[in-house]
Amino acid sequence: MSPEILKIANEFGVWIIAALVVSVVAIQAILYTRLAYSTAEKLGMKKEKCNIAFRTGLVTAIGPVIAIFIVMVGMMSVIGGPMSWLRLSIIGAAPTELTAARVGAEALGVEFGSKNYNLLALATSWWTMAVNGIGWLLLVGLFSHKLESLREKIGGGDPRWLGLLSGAAMLGVFGYLNSADVVQGGGKLIAVVAGALSMVVMVKVTQKYPKLKEFSLGIAMLVGMFSAIIFS
Amino acid sequence: MNNQEFNKIWKQPVIKIGVFTLLLTAALSFLPVGYLYFVHGVIPDLALALKAWGMIAALFGAFYVVEPVSYYAVLGLAGTYMSFLAGNISNLRLPCASMALEVTETEPGTKEAEVISTLGIAGSIITNLIGVTIAAFVGTALIKLFPPVVANAFKVYTVPAIFGAVFGQFAFRFPKLGVVGIGIPVILRLTTKLPAWALIIASVFGTILVAKILNERAKRSAGTTA
Repeated sequence: MSPEILKIANEFGVWIIAALVVSVVAIQAILYTRLAYSTAEKLGMKKEKCNIAFRTGLVTAIGPVIAIFIVMVGMMSVIGGPMSWLRLSIIGAAPTELTAARVGAEALGVEFGSKNYNLLALATSWWTMAVNGIGWLLLVGLFSHKLESLREKIGGGDPRWLGLLSGAAMLGVFGYLNSADVVQGGGKLIAVVAGALSMVVMVKVTQKYPKLKEFSLGIAMLVGMFSAIIFS
Repeated sequence: MNNQEFNKIWKQPVIKIGVFTLLLTAALSFLPVGYLYFVHGVIPDLALALKAWGMIAALFGAFYVVEPVSYYAVLGLAGTYMSFLAGNISNLRLPCASMALEVTETEPGTKEAEVISTLGIAGSIITNLIGVTIAAFVGTALIKLFPPVVANAFKVYTVPAIFGAVFGQFAFRFPKLGVVGIGIPVILRLTTKLPAWALIIASVFGTILVAKILNERAKRSAGTTA
């Protein structure tokens, strides 16, 4: 992208807009946290248990967030700081956002990041990222509460089966997500297999040392990553 | 606590917060486009805007529906609102929700699980927001501290390693379903050219179906031996 276009993408006004969107995400997280604590109290759950759950989320996220951090810094040089900040705070991971930005330029017939990438192309890229993101926001915002009846229909109120159902759904989701890396082979396959095996080891280890549980996913992730570097 | 009370103290406020924040963000998403129009006088005309919209919806449109439906059984209601507002669902929200349940030894699918996974996801969002905000303001300076091989490993291998680890966590508990969960998409990838959204549906609902069959069979044999 030419320096003049990038300069516009990094203007102060865009930072202000990005800050607005980021704060909505923060406010939502705070509102749900407060609601969860007050509901837990009414359900007779221990506060300490809630603190552990929240802290587990904080800690488990560190590794993946470092990955997002590195990708985002690269992305900033392509679509600018504020838009990267805005787009990676809400729905849409880096590959999705870069695809949308590129598709926007293509709709205009301009190559993304080329000399011809002008202000109109920038506007079209931004438009495309926005309309793509609202696809999820609108459908989830308007229809999520209807999904409960779907879960009840499949779940049927039997708590043992509901637990099994969640496990099966999780294995289906992550089976799908792993399948691309498994089929591709090489370092990514090693990362998947080493990640899975070290997690199984961590589950066993933490049965003896429960204090380590909060870190088990982080540790498994690091083992998977470094196995991929060493063995590929 | 009965379901009616739980509805009142949990579900109703969850829906209220969720609908409001998601629709607000949907509206705010267009501010950058508006900014370019009001400050620089540039905006794509209607034909171009619709063309770009059509092109991107052709790529991702199916996911707008398939992902919420497929992930709901794991995320729950508040978790769904939070995850689809904050994004990065597979690499952050789902792993953090499942670890929160695991660490607190909470049975999935219960009222307690709703609260616990909500807190796990909320924690991950806070870390996420801190990370992207630091990246936005001092990232370029900080990135030089990472040796290139480490930076590259994070970039390329964290996501597969997390996906593998979460799979391992659940496959350990349900080994038979683990074989099904990975088997369906891998076989379909090798033998067909199905689009990604169809692969998600096949592996999520295929695995749920097999779980249902195994569960019924276990119940029946328990019934006959008892």
